[in-house]
Amino acid sequence: MTPIVFQLYYFVRAAIAGLRGSRLTTVVSIATIAVAVIPLGGLWVVTGNMRALLDQFGNELQLTAFLDAKVRSDAGRSLAARAAAIPGVERVEFVSQEQALERFRARLGGSALLEALEANPLPASLAIALAPDHRTPEAVAAVSEALHALSGVEDVAGGESWIEGYGRALRLVRSAGIGLGVVLALATLLIITNTIRLAVYARRDELEILALVGASRTFLRVPFLIEGLLQGAVGGLLGVGLLFAIFHVAVPQLRDALELFLGWSDPAFLSPRNVGILVSGGAAFGLTGAAAAVAATRVS
Amino acid sequence: MTPGAPARATAEAAPAPRAGGDPLIRLFHVSKSYSAGTFALRDVSVEVKKGELVFLTGPSGAGKTTLMKLLFAAERPSEGQILVLGRNVARIGERGIPRLRRRVGVVFQDFKLIPTRTAEENVAVALEVIGKSPREVRGKSFAMLKRVGLQHRRHHRPAALSGGEQQRVALARALVNDPAILLADEPTGNLDAALTLEIMDLIAAAAARGTTVLVASHDAALVKRYARRVLRLEGGQLVEDLSGSAIR
Repeated sequence: MTPIVFQLYYFVRAAIAGLRGSRLTTVVSIATIAVAVIPLGGLWVVTGNMRALLDQFGNELQLTAFLDAKVRSDAGRSLAARAAAIPGVERVEFVSQEQALERFRARLGGSALLEALEANPLPASLAIALAPDHRTPEAVAAVSEALHALSGVEDVAGGESWIEGYGRALRLVRSAGIGLGVVLALATLLIITNTIRLAVYARRDELEILALVGASRTFLRVPFLIEGLLQGAVGGLLGVGLLFAIFHVAVPQLRDALELFLGWSDPAFLSPRNVGILVSGGAAFGLTGAAAAVAATRVS
Repeated sequence: MTPGAPARATAEAAPAPRAGGDPLIRLFHVSKSYSAGTFALRDVSVEVKKGELVFLTGPSGAGKTTLMKLLFAAERPSEGQILVLGRNVARIGERGIPRLRRRVGVVFQDFKLIPTRTAEENVAVALEVIGKSPREVRGKSFAMLKRVGLQHRRHHRPAALSGGEQQRVALARALVNDPAILLADEPTGNLDAALTLEIMDLIAAAAARGTTVLVASHDAALVKRYARRVLRLEGGQLVEDLSGSAIR
C-alpha cells in the first residue's frame, strides 16, 4: 500500500478524533445544517407536489378544435394530421359529427329530446392532447392560436384559465424557495465556517506540533475538510429525517383542507434521488465551510 | 557580510576542519532582525559536521533560540545563507519545509506534546505525517519508547507523565524517524538535576549513533559534562567556538 492510502486513513482518524474532541461545536454545526435543510426540503416537498398536481391536471388538459360544418370526414382527418404537426401537440383525435352525437347520447342516456332531432347539430371536432412540457398557460395559448389559424377550424375551447393562476402560484413558491435557499445557504455557510475556525483555533497547538514534525499543509488541512464534510452529511441526513417526521405528522392534519381546496389529498415526500441531493448538498456545504475556514486561518 | 558588523565574530567563526565528514549545517554570514536596527543574530558563520555534538551557549537573549528556529525553518534569516542537509533553508519553499523537518528532530523546553494523545500516539505522529503504515508506526513507536525507557507508560497521556517522562516522549518523537540532525532547545530547562542527566544521556547516545546534535543550553555544568564543541553567542554574535580541552 502506498503512503497516500495510509495518510488517508490518518486523515479520517484525525477528523473523527477532532469531531469527538469538540462535541459541542460539532453538535452546533450539525444542528445548523439540519435546521437549514428542513425549510428548504419542506419547500421542495411543496413545489414538488404542486408540480405533480399540475402535471395531473395537464394530463387531463385537452383542447378541442371545433370544425366548420362544411368539413367532411376525410378533410377532417387531414386537418387532424396538420394539427398534430403543431409544436407541443402530442396526440390528435378526429371526432366526426356522428361520433360526437353518439357520445352525447351516451352521456344523456338516450333522451327523447335527441330522438326528435332531424339533423345532427353537433360539429365535428379535433380532440388535442398536449405534450407534457407544453402544459403551461403560454404553450396552451400558442397551440390554440395555431389551431385557429388552420382553415376549417371554427373555434377552439379548453385550457382552463385557473391553471394559469396555479402555474403562477407554483412559480411564486419556487422563487420564494430559491430566495430562502440563498439566505439559508449563506447563514449556514457562515456558521459552519466559524465553527470550523473555532475547531482550528482550539487545535492550533496540535497543528503547530504536527507542522514541527514535518506534516505537510495537506496533512494539516484535510482532516478539517473531512470534518466539515461529515458534519454536513450528518446534518443533511438529520434534517431530512426530521422533515420526514414533520411530513407524516402534518399531512393527516391537512388532508381535509387539501381535499377541499385542491381536490387532492395524497401528497408525496421527496424522492430518494432528491433526498440524496439534499444530503449531498449538506455535505457540500460542510466541505465548503471548512475550506473557507481553513483558508481564513491559514493552516500551515 | 553585514556592513558595520565586527570582523571578530567572522574570524572566530571561520570553521576549523573537524573530524566527522561533510558539514550537515552551514551558516554563511547569517543575520536575523525582527525590527529595523536590532539584531537577534548578527553575521554568524559556522559549520557543523555529521555526528558532532555541539552546545550552543550564551545568556538569555543571545540568539540561541533564533539560531535553532532558523535551522528548522521556523524563521527565515534577514541576511545570509543557511545550508541544512544540502538545502538552502534561507530560500526554502513552503513545500520544502515539511521535507526538511522530517530529517531534523526538534526538542523544546516545554516538550510540545499533544495533550489529547497518549505517549505512544505522540511519538507516532512523526511517522504518520510521512505516511508510514499503521503496523510500522506501532512497531517503531514502541521500540523508540522502549529506548527511552517508557514502554510501560505508552498508554498514558502527557498530563499523567512527569516532566522527565514527557521530555523523554518528546525525545522519542524527535528521534523515531532517525533524523540526520537533532536540535534541542533548552531540553532540560524544566527538569531537576537527576532528570537533566537522564535526558542528556539519551541525547548524547543519539549523537553516538551518528546523529548530528545541537543543544542550546545556558547550564554551564551540563556544557562541561557533555560538550565536545561549544558555540557561544552573545548579543546575537558568535563570540567563541571552542572544542576539546579548551571547553574545560
